[in-house]
Order: sequence, then structure tokens, then C-alpha cells
Amino acid sequence: MNSTFIVLREQIQNFYLVRRLSTFELRSENRNNYLGFLWELINPSIQIGIYYFVFGFGIRAGRDVPMEYLGKVKFFYWMLAGIVVWFFVSQAVLLASKSIYTRIGMISRMSFPMSVIPSVVIATKFYQHLLITALVFVILQFTHYHVSIYLIQIPYYMFSLLALTLSFSLITSTLATIVRDTQMVVQSLIRVLMYLTPILWQPNEKIIQWVFKINPLTYVVEGYRYSLLGGEWYFVHHAYYTLYFWIVVIVMFIMGSALHVKFRNRFVDYL
Amino acid sequence: MAPSVVFKNVSKKYKMHTKTSEKLLDILLPGGYGEDFYALDNLTFEANWGDVVGIVGVNGSGKSTLSNLMAGVIPPTRGEVQVDGEAALIAIAAGLNLELTGRENIELKCLMLGFNRKQIRELEPSIIEFSELEKFIDQPVKKYSSGMRSRLGFAISVNVNPDVLIIDEALSVGDQTFAEKCITRMESFKDMHKTIFFISHSIKQVRDFCPTAMWLEYGQMKDYGPAERVLTEYEDFLQEFKLMSAEEKRQYREKVAQIRSGALQVT
Repeated sequence: MNSTFIVLREQIQNFYLVRRLSTFELRSENRNNYLGFLWELINPSIQIGIYYFVFGFGIRAGRDVPMEYLGKVKFFYWMLAGIVVWFFVSQAVLLASKSIYTRIGMISRMSFPMSVIPSVVIATKFYQHLLITALVFVILQFTHYHVSIYLIQIPYYMFSLLALTLSFSLITSTLATIVRDTQMVVQSLIRVLMYLTPILWQPNEKIIQWVFKINPLTYVVEGYRYSLLGGEWYFVHHAYYTLYFWIVVIVMFIMGSALHVKFRNRFVDYL
Repeated sequence: MAPSVVFKNVSKKYKMHTKTSEKLLDILLPGGYGEDFYALDNLTFEANWGDVVGIVGVNGSGKSTLSNLMAGVIPPTRGEVQVDGEAALIAIAAGLNLELTGRENIELKCLMLGFNRKQIRELEPSIIEFSELEKFIDQPVKKYSSGMRSRLGFAISVNVNPDVLIIDEALSVGDQTFAEKCITRMESFKDMHKTIFFISHSIKQVRDFCPTAMWLEYGQMKDYGPAERVLTEYEDFLQEFKLMSAEEKRQYREKVAQIRSGALQVT
């Protein structure tokens, strides 16, 4: 329990450090491309195009997706509002997991608050996420899903998303430093998770719907949808689900911090 | 006066693994698994404020491990390391980000060392000036020559005003004038009563610069005291080693290997 507070304190005290380091990260990432930051938008656009082609046009044959309060929603808009979460999570988790062992050489002293390293990577990806989300928001203004009062819940879901990603990455970044194979496991897990979250399709069978709900990411994806498309206060109407989500996040955070604090003094030895 | 650096029975042990399965066993078994290798074995010494200690020893005698322990880069396996104040390690590979410019690297490095925004803004001009990089300061570090890189690394480390300075072979790069400038800066650190550890293969450099010296051999301290005495001993040893026959050298290496795995006690 003590380690939870250590990590939490480090996160809060080093907010400026995280912000600065993540801008450096962004700069060194995009310096070599002529289009630079634009690639952060071009790549997702291409992916959205191909997913719509395969899932919306191909598999669903243009059928709409039913949502609570909203009725039938066009697949393209439904996908757009959820996939922004996916672009963030898939990259952030993958990069954050390998963040510690790829950067341990940069850290020149043990007293460095090492738990901020995954946060730096997550923050870097979050800038990009804000940009894409803003773009999706603008696109939706041209449809009949105009801005509504429900949009004000989106900061809450962004916070939930960050909390979930960080808690999970604390576990995986520590394990990946000790046993590199973890990175491969994370990679496969992310590939599988893409189809166990309502991003590209939604199951009709009760049992599979349950499986989807166990995945805490479903909570965030649905939250984003009801914020961007409007419709309802998702976290209030699904209060029990909200409770479940936060229990999962907190348990992961406690586990992750305990692991991290236990091993961090020896990270250098695992190089 | 309290000593500046204290080592109490410090050992640094590594495990040697030949297969990945052994590595896995080492993590899983409570006692660990694998052959021991003592990079440093039971080191005890004190250095006072203002001491300038040259560290000598052949390759692989544990000099870099010692400097990493002092700088707090790695933790000791056993024993206690106490450093009063902030220690800065200057090594050739100073962990610069090649994609970023020199200026950005200065801020990055200072952030990593725990400085805040205001302190960094104050430090930056003096670092840039000391590095003599001129226009190159806004070029990515990957375009630097190795001399420029080490100049930048050195400029950062000496300007953050550490209490204990550890110089690991860093002066062997850079041209004569810059080396002299570094020595001058080091002399001023001496006058400010900072503790300096100077690791070098050049016995002449150590003799010129350090009043005290330490000789490491197979991870243990052979001698620690006035530079003249220690360096003479060390030179004698090197001479003796050179004169050994191939067979004697082999035997000596075998003995060293046994000592370092902890199987043999030295008397």
C-alpha cells in the first residue's frame, strides 16, 4: 500500500517533468519526417478508411448500429467516435511497456522518479489523441450529431482512459524490463483486445456482450461515444459499471506500483 | 569534518548466465541461479572533502563499477555507500539524445538530474559557453563529432556544480586546449574543496593531478594512499606482469577468475 503512495506522489510532484520530457519525445520522434506531426493524422485516417471498407461496407453491408437513447447510428460515425480511444490505447500501452528498458541508459541516477517514464510516453501519445479527437469532433459537426451538453463529460473519460493506461503500463513496463518476452505478450494481447472491445463490431449474443463488458476499455469507448454523439450520461446510467471500472483500475494501480517499487532499484541490473 | 564519500564493505556481484533459461531460473528461485562474478569485492574506504583521488587498475578491475556506485547509477549488492551531497559522473558516453539539439539536450539532461525550470534557465548560458559549440548548439547531436559530444557532456556535468565529481576516462577525448580548460576547471573545484575521483589509464595524468591514488585489482582494493607510493607499486606490478611467461600469465588469470567467483579468498 505504501508503494501506491510513492508512485502517486511521484506522478503528481513531477508533472512539469513529464510535460517537458514528453515534448522532447515528440520532437525527436518527428524530426526526421518532412510532414512531421501530420503523420499522426495521416496514418489513422488511412486505417479508418480501410476499417470502414472491410467492416462497414463489407461485413455489415451498411447496416446501422443500435445504441441506447440514440436509436440507430450510422456505422461510420459509431466507429469514428470509438476508434479514437483505440488509436491511443494500442500505441500508448505498447510504447509504455518498453519505455523503461529502452530508456534506462538515459537515467543517470537511481534517485530519478522512475515511475514517470511510462507517464512520459503516455503523455506524448495523449497530445496526438487530443488532436485526433478534436478532428473527429469537427467531422461530426457536419452530420446530425451536433455538439450537445453531453460533451462536457468527455474530460472525465479522458481521465479514466489515462488512469487505465497508466495502471496497466506500470505492470507491463516492470515485467517487460525483467523478462523481455512480456513485450510480445502485450503485443498479442492488444491485437486480441481490438476485437474484444466494441470498436469495429458489436456482438448480439448476451454471453459475448458480457465478455466485452469485463474488458474495462469498453467503458471508456462507450463513454467517448455518448460524449461525442450525445445521448446520455453514460457513467451515471451505468453506475455499477463505473464502480467496476474504477475497482479494476485501482487494483491494477496498486499491483503495478508494488511491482514497480519492488524492482526499480534493480532495473539497471536487468539490462 | 564528516567524510565526503564512505564505502563500507561494499560488494557488487553479478550473475553469469550462458543460457536464457538460467536467467529465468535466477529470477524465479529465491536464492538466485548462476555463477557469481564479483565486480567489486568488500571495498572499504573513506574520502574527505577536497580529496583528489586517482583510480588506477588494469581493464576489468572494477573501476567503472566503482564510479557507477559512487554516482548512484547502480545499487550495491552488499554493504553501504554514503555520498554527502550530489555526485556527478562524467563519462564519454554521456547519455545524450542524438535526435535532439545540443540546447535541448542540456535541458533534458538537467531535468533528468532533478533541476527545475528556473535553475535550468540560469545554468544554460554557462554550459553553452563552456562547451564552445557556438552555432552547433542548435544542431542535432547526431551531427556532432565525438569531440563535440564529449565537450557538451563535460560542460553539462561540471556546470551543474556537483559536490563530488567522478571523471571516468573523459579527458582522453577533445583537443589539447579543451583538455587544459577542463583541468583548469578541475583545479578550481580542488580549490573549492570538492571531492574528485579521477579514473585514468594514464599514470602520468594521475601523477600530475592527484595527491592520492587508489589501485584496484580483480575487484579488490590493492592499495589506497599517497599517489607516489601507490603508483610506484602499480607500475612495478605492470612491469612484473609484462615479464611473466605465457604459462604464468595463464595461471594468474585463472587465479583471478577464481577470486572473482568468490571461490578463493585472497590473503
